[in-house]
Amino acid sequence: MRAMLRASAPILVIALAACGTDPAPEPTEQIVVREPGAAAVPAVETEDSLIAIGKAAFNTCIACHGIEKGGANKVGPNLYGIIGQAAGAAQGFGYSEALTSSGITWTKEELDRYIANPAAKVPGTTMMAGAITDAGRREAIIAYIDEVSAN
Amino acid sequence: MAEAKKKKSWTRRAFIGAGVAAGGALVVGIAVRPGNPTDRLSPLVAKGEGEKLINAWVKIDADNIVTAIVPHVEMGQGIFTSLAQMLADELDADWSKVRILEAPADAKYSSSHIGREFLAPNLEVPEILEPTVSGSFLSLATAMTLQITGGSYSIRGTGQRAMRTAGAAAREMLVAAAASEWNVPVGELRTENSMILHDKSSKSATFASFAAAAAEQSLPAKPKLKSPKDYKLMGKAIARTDIPEKSNGSAIFGIDADLPGMKYAAVKAAPVVGATVEAIDAAAAKTMPGVLQILNMGDFVAVVADGYWQAEQALATIQATYSKTEGDGLDQDALFTRYATMLDEAGDTDGDVETEEGDVGEAFASAATKVEAEYKVPFLAHATMEPMNCTAWVRDGKCDVWSGTQSPLMARKTAAETTGIDIDNVAYHNAYLGGGFGRRSEMDVIIMSTRIAMATKYPVKMIWSREEDTMQDHYRPSATSRFQGGLDKDGKAVSWSNIHTHLFDPQEAPTVPYYNIANHKIRKIDVPTHLRFGPWRSVDHSQHGYFIESFVDEMAHAAGKDGYAFRRELLAGSPRHLKVLDTAAKMSGWDKPLPEGHGRGIAFVPSFGTIVAEVAEVDMTGKKPKVTTVYVAADPGFAVNPDGFAAQMESSVAYGLTAALYGEISVKDGAVQQSNFHDYPILRINEMPDVVVEIINGDHKRLGGAGEPGLPPLAPAVTNAIFAATGNRVRELPLSKVNFA
Repeated sequence: MRAMLRASAPILVIALAACGTDPAPEPTEQIVVREPGAAAVPAVETEDSLIAIGKAAFNTCIACHGIEKGGANKVGPNLYGIIGQAAGAAQGFGYSEALTSSGITWTKEELDRYIANPAAKVPGTTMMAGAITDAGRREAIIAYIDEVSAN
Repeated sequence: MAEAKKKKSWTRRAFIGAGVAAGGALVVGIAVRPGNPTDRLSPLVAKGEGEKLINAWVKIDADNIVTAIVPHVEMGQGIFTSLAQMLADELDADWSKVRILEAPADAKYSSSHIGREFLAPNLEVPEILEPTVSGSFLSLATAMTLQITGGSYSIRGTGQRAMRTAGAAAREMLVAAAASEWNVPVGELRTENSMILHDKSSKSATFASFAAAAAEQSLPAKPKLKSPKDYKLMGKAIARTDIPEKSNGSAIFGIDADLPGMKYAAVKAAPVVGATVEAIDAAAAKTMPGVLQILNMGDFVAVVADGYWQAEQALATIQATYSKTEGDGLDQDALFTRYATMLDEAGDTDGDVETEEGDVGEAFASAATKVEAEYKVPFLAHATMEPMNCTAWVRDGKCDVWSGTQSPLMARKTAAETTGIDIDNVAYHNAYLGGGFGRRSEMDVIIMSTRIAMATKYPVKMIWSREEDTMQDHYRPSATSRFQGGLDKDGKAVSWSNIHTHLFDPQEAPTVPYYNIANHKIRKIDVPTHLRFGPWRSVDHSQHGYFIESFVDEMAHAAGKDGYAFRRELLAGSPRHLKVLDTAAKMSGWDKPLPEGHGRGIAFVPSFGTIVAEVAEVDMTGKKPKVTTVYVAADPGFAVNPDGFAAQMESSVAYGLTAALYGEISVKDGAVQQSNFHDYPILRINEMPDVVVEIINGDHKRLGGAGEPGLPPLAPAVTNAIFAATGNRVRELPLSKVNFA
């Protein structure tokens, strides 16, 4: 038993050294834009148009979907140019079989029905979010997608 | 079978992986020394009006509420409840009046039994020497700042050795105080439902009424523990105490830290681990709403803003250039090629021998049937539900840190070392962990957030994006393992030879001492990569369970035997092991035919002190495997909370099946390719099989763990079932890479 203890001690010392101090380097560059509480950079004035409302509402979508031309797919496919396309058309995105075989063409009306409740419109879809209950918000989001794609 | 020869090279990670638990022997240690540390500990844990600390782990307040002080963290495994059950049972406490408090991050709550359990688990010490031994381990363990939850050790280490002893000691102290006051022999008193009763005189009193007098009693040297027939709480499926708050949303996790004036940080580290951030272009980020500071920390970039979303958005616009490293240019295929080359070079003799018995060369050469196979597994990320996060405030020579970690004391020490502030002026505040799985035993977030807070001087909550979490994890290593097995003319296993890449922890993970194979030799080679390794639920058992149980199945097939019958032969003479195997087979109706295209597979892995056999049923009639049912038979010695134990088996099936079906982290140009749940998917609810669990209480004196042992048999049970259904032997995970069409 004593031999065991002696044998153990150096092992523990090594282990102790292994969890030793990491250096805590200071930032190599520190850009202080402002102090907390100081006036913020003025926000861009919001417009009251449908597209501006849609752009703001699209923030709910942006965690999973990009909308810039040629942008990457994220958790969801890129939505640039989706209106008028067949379902499952974004290059390189792994759609559910339910969606690719749905036969849907994304007219504004179809898109509206889908984002109102994706799982009801296409049972088996992997789109977990969505279900935007407010018809006005859906209209604005679709108008925004259309506008971005048109430009 | 002779004891396996093992090479041991302990590292801090090995230590964590081996799963030392905290809290063990402090009470025992105290119990054999004069004095009681309650004076020192009371300011930490018993500040309330009328509260009395009886010993380090128990306090009783004026309303007769008993509080169990548990030195472990709650990460969904239900440990608070089970440990409190153990203490309360020995104390004869009224469960409805038991509360639970997580021990503070203080060295006094670290433990020697961690060291005992880890370094010398089978060391039998004469009672008279116990204090010396425990004392030695206590000082070592304290020095190592161990207050760790991991390695499936909390119940079998801390619970069995400390919480029960603490409860029994407190009970004896209360009884002694009452006996003295009432002037009756101790033997005439009994305890029940937080009351002390003297039947002869019909006197009774609450624990609370004797709490103060009990704390003055000397600690009993060897408190008497109950035998199983007297258990009132242990062995009962008591509802977890954290269910209500986790159901109604009031539970506080690390990410819920909220302080006046707190700001948020988003971070992005160099994609190739080891690279430094050479330069950043933050022109756009500087003009964005809410942005307060932009920091190039050398190894990562941070943006601090009024809100987290603002910080994330600004961070996304920053262009960074990184230094070149040796890891650049490495791809996953090249890494597997590197493994193969080094395994080839090791040949039949080189590499580190982990265990050897008999002569495998001779036995294999003369075997009637020879079986050879190679298996591969990928890197795996932890993907905890709660993203990695930490909140820190460094000011005026003080530091406060809020997070959820598996190692609170090490977090406190790390914050002290990072800031250079004396540890007495560093406070660490732990909260619930939204999943741990080993990931939260790493200190990276603690270091990063304290460094950010040092730069800002105001409190900052750093939250990793899911992308950072996936790309900057400490991964379960990718690995390759090769086997040669020999069978005699009767199909009996006579040789077992294995060489594999990596050995991390536990050291016994690649070995099969429970199988009767006369000649065996197991070797490993180290293949360095730049990615960081970390303990991942069941650690090395996660890959070796799959390797070993796949190869056993291949040997069974080569011997013309059923996988269950073949394992029965290998376990002959080990009744406890056989009982577990037999139970799983019986539960599954092993001999009953299944429909066409369906298959059944069995696997057996003892790990972390618990023996587990699983039978998986798969339906292979679709495009990809559908696991329909998993039968789990497990012997943890004694299940303290059977419901909690079964839940751990079920969650091990979910976590293990996620890995078996989908889990793959791969490297391209030195960086991790996966980034979020679209390319690192988690099992969906419709993919969850039915899980049937049967618990065998095989030895109440020697308990096993719960958090991890359910996982290792899962993948091989599934792949063996796929073989049974299709004849397709899966030698590389995940299953999503295999075309079953």
